[in-house]
Amino acid sequence: MAEPAAQAVAPRAMEPTRDLGATLPDLLEVLLNKGVYLDLDLIITVADIPLIGVNLRATIAGIETMLEYGMMRSWDEQTREWVRRSVSRHLPLAEDEEIVMRMAGGHRDDERHGTWRPGTVYLTSRRLIVWRADPKEVLWQARLEDVTGVDLRTERSIGGEDRVRLAVTTTDGTATLSAAAPERLHGMLREQGIGPAAPARNPRPESAAHEGSLWYQEQLASGPVWRGGTAVVDRAGGVTWKGALDQRPAVRLRAEQLLSVDVESGRTPAGSAVVVVRTPTGGVRFAAQDPGPWVRALRRASRAARPELSAGAGGKP
Amino acid sequence: MTTGLYVYAVVAGEPADLGTGIDGAALEVVTGPDDVAAVVHRHAAGPYEGADDDVRRWVVEHSDVVERVWERTGTVLPMSFNVIVAEGEETPARARLQEWLGAGAQQLRERLDALKDRVELRVEIGLDQHQVGGRNPDVVAMQAELETRPQGVRRLMRKRLDQLEREVTDALADERYQQYRRRLAAVSEELSENRSARPGEGVVSVLTVSLLVPRDAVPGVGRELAAIQDEEPAAVIRYLGPWPPYSFADVPGLTAPTMA
Repeated sequence: MAEPAAQAVAPRAMEPTRDLGATLPDLLEVLLNKGVYLDLDLIITVADIPLIGVNLRATIAGIETMLEYGMMRSWDEQTREWVRRSVSRHLPLAEDEEIVMRMAGGHRDDERHGTWRPGTVYLTSRRLIVWRADPKEVLWQARLEDVTGVDLRTERSIGGEDRVRLAVTTTDGTATLSAAAPERLHGMLREQGIGPAAPARNPRPESAAHEGSLWYQEQLASGPVWRGGTAVVDRAGGVTWKGALDQRPAVRLRAEQLLSVDVESGRTPAGSAVVVVRTPTGGVRFAAQDPGPWVRALRRASRAARPELSAGAGGKP
Repeated sequence: MTTGLYVYAVVAGEPADLGTGIDGAALEVVTGPDDVAAVVHRHAAGPYEGADDDVRRWVVEHSDVVERVWERTGTVLPMSFNVIVAEGEETPARARLQEWLGAGAQQLRERLDALKDRVELRVEIGLDQHQVGGRNPDVVAMQAELETRPQGVRRLMRKRLDQLEREVTDALADERYQQYRRRLAAVSEELSENRSARPGEGVVSVLTVSLLVPRDAVPGVGRELAAIQDEEPAAVIRYLGPWPPYSFADVPGLTAPTMA
């Protein structure tokens, strides 16, 4: 414990606690994996996976979130196979069908007075499914090849709040789905090459100029590290970036904080282009497979906030 | 009767005086190449299952083994609770485990080296909604109005007040998350987000993270947290550790794998 005299010279520091009474819940959380879909007991029952590598521990811990962000594709073959097997114990999957994304959601049964039936929305490599685990039932499903369009629609819920729904148009008509993160699911369906069904009759309250996967460079004591996540750039709101496993967005820049947007070259997980955004508090670095649309969207937002600069393109000579 | 191996941790070298493990089990070391080894006990039964209190005790006994090894050797890759290597059709569990150690020896070795003399610190920061609400004119006005209303109306108003306080605090949490995360990242070698804990009544969670920090850099994290507490009286901070690097035993770096 620092004495008052010592505090005058050295700034106060909090001391971490190791007291078991205080830390036990955290210790349990870290050592137990209570995944509903995955349990480590598989190790001694699944013959062809002799041991879960140490490298899987994070995957198991973050599985729910990883699934919600559609990050399955970034896992190695063995892990994907293992997840597939665990999921297929609940949800019947075809032999070569992979889970792409999964989140809480539901289906509105328009044949029965528009009753919402809650469940889990799965996007697989072949289908979009709304599945109820108990009692087991496919509430709604469509093969991706039959989906002709997908749109986001804002609807007034019974409680009088605006909710964003997914309108999925298939050869059979249009189904309305709810999802924990409709924009993310929508973005993932877009990535699967499914476009809008029709001109949106009901535009979203804030028109996002651009959204999708984007890398962001975080500064650690050990140096910079590139992190994967999703970003939204919109003319009015500026830019928001959220890491796949993060609780809240790690970057929120209002349009007027986007002083300039430039492209530099550098090594990134997405190629050699680094998008550098200058802000009043320093530079923020992003990277994308195709930086063009991001740069254009960021510059549009930047110019919209400061019309006096509209002549320049944001790039320095 | 098959005999499996219950695995506590992957370690460097061959630690001596291991003591005992779960339920007093005798501990052994299974060695692989590159000076990489696993601390195990022979386990004939299936996974541990039982009453909550038993599970708690087992987890603590598991973590005690991890801690001891960590203190002796300075580095460890802790395994999750209940990781048991089964005997194969033709292969004893020990051989399967050695095979696995062999296949991953180089990566395991590199990770063990990278984690040497590093500790895990867990930081949870929340915001007290009443304190944050007290600084908001709308909340203060609603509170004042509540006092003037008849008893019957107050209950409903309290609900609305609570809702408003939460909204105001959540907006502030969004703002603070970026700043706190940036500051904690600047004093850590690695940072990993944990599943958000359930914060206490009236507290809105801002961030829940594990930090990987060299042992001698721990005071720097404490100073940063003290500064955050001084700047923001409404901050509710839980600060745990130093622990073995449980959250960092997996893939090096925080870079998410390539999104196709």
